[in-house]
Amino acid sequence: MNVQSELNQIFCKVFNDDSIVISGNMTSANIDGWDSMSHINLILTVENSFKIQFSQKELMRQRNISDLIRDIEHKLQSH
Amino acid sequence: MTTTSSSSNFFNIGYACTTQQLLNGHADKVALKFIFPDQTSVDYTFLDLDTESNKIANFLSTTLSIVEGETVLILLPKTPELFFSFLGSLKHKAITGILFSSLGESAISERIIDSNATCIITKKNFLKKINFSKELYPNLKHILLIDIDEHIDATILSYKKLLAQASTMFIVPPTSPEAPSVLHYTSGSTGKPKGVLHHHRSLALQKKTFREVLSVQENDIYWCTADQGWVTGVSYGIIGPWSNGTTQIQYAGAYTPEVWFNILESEQVNVWYTAPTALRMLMKEDEALFTNYELHHLRHISSVGEPLNPEIISWGKEVLGKDIYDTWFQTETGAIMIANRPGLPIKAGSMGKSSCNEIFPVIISDDGVPLPPKSEGNLCLVAPFSSLFSTYLHYPDIYQKKFIHSYYFSGDRAYQDEDGYLWFLGRADDIINTAGHLVSPFEVESALLEHSAVSESAVIGVSDPLLYEKVVAFVSLKSGYQPSKEVELQIRLHVSNRVSSTATPQEVYFIDDIPKNNSGKIMRRILKKQYINEDVGDTSTLMGS
Repeated sequence: MNVQSELNQIFCKVFNDDSIVISGNMTSANIDGWDSMSHINLILTVENSFKIQFSQKELMRQRNISDLIRDIEHKLQSH
Repeated sequence: MTTTSSSSNFFNIGYACTTQQLLNGHADKVALKFIFPDQTSVDYTFLDLDTESNKIANFLSTTLSIVEGETVLILLPKTPELFFSFLGSLKHKAITGILFSSLGESAISERIIDSNATCIITKKNFLKKINFSKELYPNLKHILLIDIDEHIDATILSYKKLLAQASTMFIVPPTSPEAPSVLHYTSGSTGKPKGVLHHHRSLALQKKTFREVLSVQENDIYWCTADQGWVTGVSYGIIGPWSNGTTQIQYAGAYTPEVWFNILESEQVNVWYTAPTALRMLMKEDEALFTNYELHHLRHISSVGEPLNPEIISWGKEVLGKDIYDTWFQTETGAIMIANRPGLPIKAGSMGKSSCNEIFPVIISDDGVPLPPKSEGNLCLVAPFSSLFSTYLHYPDIYQKKFIHSYYFSGDRAYQDEDGYLWFLGRADDIINTAGHLVSPFEVESALLEHSAVSESAVIGVSDPLLYEKVVAFVSLKSGYQPSKEVELQIRLHVSNRVSSTATPQEVYFIDDIPKNNSGKIMRRILKKQYINEDVGDTSTLMGS
């Protein structure tokens, strides 16, 4: 399974909505319930699932799902 | 165009916010500048508000046969339809409640059942959270979806289609000040959230305090960042501004400092009503950010939801060059009761003084005796006043307990100084105020117990530099389960999806036993003391001691 597919499953789980289909330019504006509190849930789940950790700086830089995927892939490659 | 005028519907909130404004000459004035998350915007005039809300009142009353006094719930994120639906439903004299769109499944279900709602206005992807069945919701007749073009069946209908077929003419029925109007849900330290019922008479104080406390003038641009799922978003994000004919901004996007300050600058906002958590988040930004914006239109900032730290007031003055005024009210009081405001010297850290000449805050002992200045006691208000709620749905006994003699007990502890300023000291109960949202520990504990790994749970609020208080959960696991990061995450997501994202525990501790007293009551006091490494005090009533 590639990163985007696995991330899609995480989004469905975190936001409890099986109909979510993520794409690169999506932001919190495109998904109901994606607020600051659920963002913490999302990041913790991503970190746990991919066995990675984001720095504060990386998190601040992520503006959309494309940025998130890029950071995940970068961390997986450097493992 | 529209409609009729009658002094007998003067108190109808929907009428006052729309048709009355046309009679006041504001038909072409922008009522709502709605800014979408991508920062495109649409302007709606008071005539637009009147027309759209008339159509909704028409299809509710005629096509759907919703009768006055039935309950209509709105479960939507911030969208123009939310505002039109709220006003239209009130024009028809339905009891109208807006549910916070981040509520989880069980929180939504409890509110639909408790309110006996007969109609819900929502969107397609919330259907799963509603989990409709006739058995679960025997009173629910219609679910209207704003994002489908055709009706699905006799129950699930297209809002757009109903709107397209509805007349723009609607005669608001005579509305007594005592007619029920808005239904909010509020957290209790015990039991489930309770429906707080207001009446159309609340309009008088909401209108007056908007003008006099928030000090909004006739041609001002006003922005309230509160969500309409909570009392501030309704009282001061709908009723206050529009009953005064004020142009207001609503932004549907998430918190981003650059976007927020761009809105303040480009929309030339004069008065901004926001929350301490948002201001604390802004305080964490590099001060250089704020020099990029020209905010000379902004006269002042008001704040609500949590106590305003003196540091925020200093930051506002030094970095933004603006005064920040704290205000205090509750879901039950419907309108601002205590406030700092322009013209009143700010005592940093104080709640301020009575909001107007109709409101009398007093500090009362536990047995109902007024206390002298500087004495800690229960923060009470002399009842009645026009915006005071009339009951907790299905819990008249709990409602009665909120009053001793003619005093409404707020549940907050405070004292009053010699100059009449009030100072907040804390809650008298276990309710958690996190980022301005009240969270019931009982509701979170109940959700935790639903999780397959959890055998016991306890939830407390502890002080947090950003959120004011954060939700902390203690759980003991069933045999066969081991504490792990995976279980902790499952627990967080479970609470978020069952109750709401705001109720998510920020910390989860796995412990062997939850401390309870001899009658089985969770000793949250013990957990709080343990959390901050304090002496736990008298434990003689602790089970097993």
